[in-house]
Amino acid sequence: MMPRSTPASDIRPRFVVAVTAVRWLSEGTFEIRLERPDGFDFIPGQKISFVDGALRRDYTLLGPVDARELALCVRHVPDGLFSPRLSRARIGDRFQITAPFGYFTLKTSGRPAVFVATGTGIAPFVAFANAGARGFDLLHGVRTPAELYYRDLLFTAARRYIPCISAAAGDDEIGPEGFAGRVDRFLSAKYPDGAYDFFLCGRIQMIRDVTRVIDARFSGSRVFIEAYD
Amino acid sequence: MKIYTQTGDQGKTSLFSGERVVKSDARIHAYGDIDELNSVVGALIAVLLPDTEAAEVQLKEIQSDLFQVGAWLAATSGSEAQARLNSITIRYSQRIESWIDGMDAQLPELKSFILPGGHPAAAWAHIARTVCRRAERAVILLAEQEAAAGRSFEGFAPIVAFINRLSDYFFVLARWLNQHAGVGDVHWQG
Repeated sequence: MMPRSTPASDIRPRFVVAVTAVRWLSEGTFEIRLERPDGFDFIPGQKISFVDGALRRDYTLLGPVDARELALCVRHVPDGLFSPRLSRARIGDRFQITAPFGYFTLKTSGRPAVFVATGTGIAPFVAFANAGARGFDLLHGVRTPAELYYRDLLFTAARRYIPCISAAAGDDEIGPEGFAGRVDRFLSAKYPDGAYDFFLCGRIQMIRDVTRVIDARFSGSRVFIEAYD
Repeated sequence: MKIYTQTGDQGKTSLFSGERVVKSDARIHAYGDIDELNSVVGALIAVLLPDTEAAEVQLKEIQSDLFQVGAWLAATSGSEAQARLNSITIRYSQRIESWIDGMDAQLPELKSFILPGGHPAAAWAHIARTVCRRAERAVILLAEQEAAAGRSFEGFAPIVAFINRLSDYFFVLARWLNQHAGVGDVHWQG
């Protein structure tokens, strides 16, 4: 899930919600669940902000859209604004959040969809899969296989699920579909020519590197971007 | 979040509807001119006289509307991304017309050409008027290209009307601001 900045003049409705569960997905990442306020509708790929005074941090909703709780994937940043508090949250602790917002939603066309994520940037693609998206190719760039969150769901939903593991030690860690290296290198060296709908979510460096590959190799493609640092 | 992604360093940018286009594309000119106009309106607001709150309210609403117009232009016609945005309707230009009429009723009849200038706020309003005219030309060029490509002009019509009316608004606003400042119109002596 993705910390991002939001516009200073935030006039979105706000809600105070209680934590219902915290589940660690790996050593540095956890999923937090919150009460779902009445009338809280969202489109898969949209996000919310946690708000505390002037501080705010954005996280994408995992879905499903009809679930009784709101689920978010959070990377624990020891000196972060919200993630330390969220990681220590107990059931019943209350946080202020905004109504959902954002435009990084699934837009379909005749082109094949290719989802590219690094780390917790996988969240919107989990939301897409939870909403029934199928037949897409998904590249998930991580340092180690332990960071391949939501692998079972995504493996089932995707046409091709391609873990791109930058710190892989051997073939047994990478798996038959995996790639030892970064997502931009995979796209540059391994992905077939064509025009695609690329959806990129992750760190700015990945967005920049992958966009360069797309401009060089996949002209006629569309690119939708959700970046964070 | 860093403001720069460096994804435009090779001369391309992504539209709101996802397409990668060169930055000299007619669509980029169109919404770039709208963005410039919005910035000029911001500068105009910054130098308004203290007792012109009504104009400030109108200008801030215009800024919000221009932002919506820019977003609409940044997505290709008929795209799913564009469909998710608020539609630009004829109500946008109708509201501008009502504001023009409200100011015009307070002004002396215009009997000769006037030169841009006067109070700084009025001078900015004239700059807004001319940038608005350029934005109008850029939007019409884009609409013509869309039509030539077989895409509908329908969505452009209320935008063209809005921008056209907006340049008239800035002309009348400049006169109104000068009158408010006690400067009056700057007449052409030709």
